[in-house]
Amino acid sequence: MADELYLENIDEFVTDQNGVVTYKWLSYTLGVHVNQAKQMLYDYVERKRKENSGAQLHVTYLVAGNLLQNGHVCHKVAVVREDKLEAMKSKLSTIASVHVYSIQKALLKDSSPLYNTDYDIVKTNLQHCSKFSAIRCAAAVPRTPPDAPRAPASAQSPQRQRDPDAAGAVNGHGPSAAKPPPQQHKGIMGMFAAKAASKPQDTHKEAKAEAKEAPGVSAASSKPPTKNNIMNNFFGKAAMNKLKVNSVPEQPKEEKEVVKPSVAVAEPESSPNTVAQKPGKKTESARIQQKDKKSKTKRADRSDDEEERDPENVKKKRKRIKQLQSDSSDEEDVPPSPTPEEERAPSPPPVPALKTELEPASTEGSAGGRKRKRKRVLKSKMFIDEEEGCMGKTG
Amino acid sequence: MFSEQAAPTAQGLLAPPSAEPPTFPRVPVSGYSDCSQPFQLGERSFSRQYAHIYAVRLAGMRPGLERRARSRWGTDISLRKLSELQAGEKCCVVGTLFKAMQLQPSILQEISEEHNLVPQPPLPKYIQPSDELILEDELQRIKLEGAIDVQRLVTGTILAVYGSEQDDGRFLVEDHCLADVPPPLPWNGPSSDRFVLLASGLGLGSVSGEALLSTQLLVDVVTGQLGAEGEQSCAAHITRVILAGNLLSQNTQSRDTINKAKYLTKKTQAASVEAVKMLDEILLQLCTSVPVDVMPGEFDPTNYTLPQQPLHRCMLPLASAYATLRLVTNPYQADLDGVRFLGTSGQNISDIFKYSSMDDYLEILEWTLLAGHISPTAPDTLGCYPFYKSDPFILTECPHVYFCGNAPRFQSKLLQGKEGQRVLLVTVPDFSATQTACLVNLRDLTCQPITFSGFGADSED
Repeated sequence: MADELYLENIDEFVTDQNGVVTYKWLSYTLGVHVNQAKQMLYDYVERKRKENSGAQLHVTYLVAGNLLQNGHVCHKVAVVREDKLEAMKSKLSTIASVHVYSIQKALLKDSSPLYNTDYDIVKTNLQHCSKFSAIRCAAAVPRTPPDAPRAPASAQSPQRQRDPDAAGAVNGHGPSAAKPPPQQHKGIMGMFAAKAASKPQDTHKEAKAEAKEAPGVSAASSKPPTKNNIMNNFFGKAAMNKLKVNSVPEQPKEEKEVVKPSVAVAEPESSPNTVAQKPGKKTESARIQQKDKKSKTKRADRSDDEEERDPENVKKKRKRIKQLQSDSSDEEDVPPSPTPEEERAPSPPPVPALKTELEPASTEGSAGGRKRKRKRVLKSKMFIDEEEGCMGKTG
Repeated sequence: MFSEQAAPTAQGLLAPPSAEPPTFPRVPVSGYSDCSQPFQLGERSFSRQYAHIYAVRLAGMRPGLERRARSRWGTDISLRKLSELQAGEKCCVVGTLFKAMQLQPSILQEISEEHNLVPQPPLPKYIQPSDELILEDELQRIKLEGAIDVQRLVTGTILAVYGSEQDDGRFLVEDHCLADVPPPLPWNGPSSDRFVLLASGLGLGSVSGEALLSTQLLVDVVTGQLGAEGEQSCAAHITRVILAGNLLSQNTQSRDTINKAKYLTKKTQAASVEAVKMLDEILLQLCTSVPVDVMPGEFDPTNYTLPQQPLHRCMLPLASAYATLRLVTNPYQADLDGVRFLGTSGQNISDIFKYSSMDDYLEILEWTLLAGHISPTAPDTLGCYPFYKSDPFILTECPHVYFCGNAPRFQSKLLQGKEGQRVLLVTVPDFSATQTACLVNLRDLTCQPITFSGFGADSED
């Protein structure tokens, strides 16, 4: 019967695990009303004591009642050891309640183990902490989500609906018990992640659009995705891998499509719009390029074919370069960009040979592709930075 | 009071498990309205001087004081401004009090190089026998002497003095009066027992964990987990919990991050972060069972100047998901079930304590009610926002329950006013030190302290 079951449960907790069994702990563990838990504890103590099995049980009681103190009647609530129970009861003029608070094998010096047990069990059950209580409050309902305003929520909800999976995959944020902050996180991260995921699609769309529209317009439309690229760097290697994976199939696609030049043009063109970001990026990019190569080699190591990748990239660079050269090179930012990129001395052996040939233009072409990689490195640089911080501490 | 009804079933739980333990519904809130709009600041601008707040304070309280003066000293007395004073003429003057104290900490003295002063350590009281009282009105000021208790009064009080100007330029006071208790509010209190729990000074984040079990016991009593059935049904009549400040302990205020080198404090977290997380969990337990009003206090993460703005709900993500949590200002004014509550977290009372000879927190609380102003020492020695349109600390109507938090011990008194006012004055004790909270019965305006204790290694309880 269930009656006997709880006795065995308590027996197990107390004697075998040598733990402190408080009424609250029992109530949450067995899923019973707190009053029932108190009665169960009492019942267990009585039976065990009758059996005289020899195992010493120490019990603490809760006593509450009125006490005359300093001239006024004070309501006192106290947890006392069994040996002090009668003393406390005699102090109180009126006794309001007496019940078992906890059972444990060891004699407790002070009440901190009781507190710790209660704290732990409540912590693991925070969401329904009043479930087994004797009082129900009808007014205690969670606020409906619109009541808790989250500013980015409306802005990114359409994007979120578009790419919910992408957001989930990139963020790695699962739904958690506390709703507002993780949702906000998810919201903000989701906005960028969604934009990252949608960026390849956007560039596809914009590539097609650009074929018809003037480059100026496309520059404007490509600005947000580029910005997102810059900001995406800060989020998750997963985002980077996703971008990288997207960009690599993108490039062959772009090779096939004639709209390549517009895309390549769009990206350098967009950089005049983002000139403010560029100088900042340049100072970083100077250092970044070195790490760029490192990270590129790292990534190349991760994927099996290092040489395959480089010739591929080189090929794509070549093709891009040719198209850029054919176009008018009136992008002002392109000449400045070679300077940091020329500092990319530690490059894989096959590449420099080609680079020396196509240096000025290579930088143009690679401006588009490099831009992406630079962004990647921007993000990985952050990782190294953090590592250095950690290493600095330990070393 | 609280436990008399519980007595019969006190030992009921010392028995084998019964079939269906009862659950009691929490008494619903019948009427609640938040009246602390004057204390909520929207756009804040600190470009104004503090003279304006004194000007509006005097202008706001002058009519009431003139009425009081006439009723006390006769309708035919002459009310004069200081500029109209004639030597030897008995008249009544209404003005702001300024107490010149030698020991009052002055930042100018501290940083003055010619004095070469070491900054004065904080003293419990800054009063000295050589302090002087000066009365100021809109244009002039005059020294006061005579039948006036210099030690007891504090700067910023608006009062009326009756006397005459002497030849040496001082004003000889024969009698003085304060604004007295404000006009009464109509009584709409409940007819059955309803309790409001007042607690302050939870002091989370402190180094010692003695009060933690008591805090847990408090939460358990209110949420109905502790106690026998009778006590639980009584606890179901607690309609509200008001936490009056100092939820965090003073220990969380360490300013190491400012004083120490950056490399020492780079990865350390402020102590208040852990404490606020603990507070969030405690509030969550309370909020699932009872409406809670949380007032900020001296050591809580909000602004320093009075009126303190509510804690931001982003710090309490778990608890603020519930509609029962209300984050309110300090001072706080609200109508609960037809009973008007007004209270502070205690900064105003403890500041008057420092600059006055009054020692008893309850006495000071009563005195502020009689002076008609919640915090006369603001902005002189207590930080205050530079109001200029009106002074929100002036008491315009008499509350039914007037409390202050973080007092050294529990005291309560029912004050009867001349015009039929009934005010329950309560000094809510610091919970981390005394493990005592207060239960106010709204039906008959009585208050009972409730104490919690565990057992220690050498305790005799």
